[in-house]
Amino acid sequence: MIDPSEFLTFIEKRFQYICGVPCSFFKEFLAYLTAHEKNTRIKHIYSTREDEAIGIASGIAFSGKKALIYMQNSGLGNIGDALTSLAQLYKLPMLMLLSYRGLEIDKDFPEHSLMGEVNEPFLKVLKVPYWNLSEDNWETEMKTATKTMIETSSPVALLVEKGVLCQ
Amino acid sequence: MMKGFEVISALKKHLRKDDIIVSSNGNISREAYHVLPRPQVYLRGSMGLPIAVGLGLALTNPKKNVLVITGDGNFLMGLGSSTTAAYYKPRNLKILILDNMKYYTTGGQKTVSSVINYAKFLDSLNIEYTDSKRASQDQIEHDLSELLGSETFSVLHLHINEGKKDLDNIAWHPEEITDRFCTRLAKSS
Ligand SMILES: Cc1ncc(C[n+]2csc(CCOP(=O)(O)OP(=O)(O)O)c2C)c(N)n1
Repeated sequence: MIDPSEFLTFIEKRFQYICGVPCSFFKEFLAYLTAHEKNTRIKHIYSTREDEAIGIASGIAFSGKKALIYMQNSGLGNIGDALTSLAQLYKLPMLMLLSYRGLEIDKDFPEHSLMGEVNEPFLKVLKVPYWNLSEDNWETEMKTATKTMIETSSPVALLVEKGVLCQ
Repeated sequence: MMKGFEVISALKKHLRKDDIIVSSNGNISREAYHVLPRPQVYLRGSMGLPIAVGLGLALTNPKKNVLVITGDGNFLMGLGSSTTAAYYKPRNLKILILDNMKYYTTGGQKTVSSVINYAKFLDSLNIEYTDSKRASQDQIEHDLSELLGSETFSVLHLHINEGKKDLDNIAWHPEEITDRFCTRLAKSS
């Protein structure tokens, strides 16, 4: 697992806000964030839906600030229009952490199987650039994703497998 | 009752120079673009998200008023974001619901808005609100001025008559909307 304190230190330098809907794959990181909400610069906004989180991040981006968004990949099914008719269309930068549910490890969770299968093609069809976030190389991957987000002024994604931001 | 574009026109004299407007997709954005000072955040799509966008803008611009103008169809599609906004209650966020009980833009099909008791619903969010049913023009003028002058997060729900002005489409591509709006914000902050 990535050390949550190192991860928080990294993101609070680059993002002023974090918002989203949780997945157990983010459990330890989100617990650490919540425990440190008072002394971190990044502001945490809870959301009722993933498309709402994209909407909030869009308002933040219209003000020249940046939001990191976290969601389960099932939430990808909720954000198509928020991406294509808002964040991508209006050129609003934001970084999405998507949990990668539905892989072999999730074989007891049939609700994630199909999204697990179509997750990457889905991102490709939506023209969202994406990378994997790994325990060993996360800083480089975060930097690459953030750089593309800024250069293209558009949403980008990182896929987060089990064990990377949770135990 | 007034028509939507009449209410939007009436807003003009209550707005301050730095006020930010977010308008929901369809007729409302078009009317906001043609009638009110430019540039603002005119949503062309993302139905259901105007309050979420307004919340993001309000949090990042604490010294400016952010007014979200939303149709009932948009409001209902993003009903959850009214609870999120009420949870954070940014004092500079104001929401104006123009309720014609219809998806007017797509041909006047009914929404399910008529089932809601807005006074009870908004009251349950523990926020400041006004529910103006079948209000006269004078009452609406008064309510708009209260909404924009309020020092707390507030919502004004107005029943309106259907009807629109024939207006050209918004001339700016969304990328141009972003550019112009960001330039305006950079100048005023
Ligand atoms: C996700 C999505 N579904 C449907 C539409 C089509 N659509 C455009 S405007 C609109 C009606 C919006 O209704 P409301 O917010 O009440 O505003 P009004 O048209 O009554 O002014 C609809 C259904 C859309 N743009 N996006």
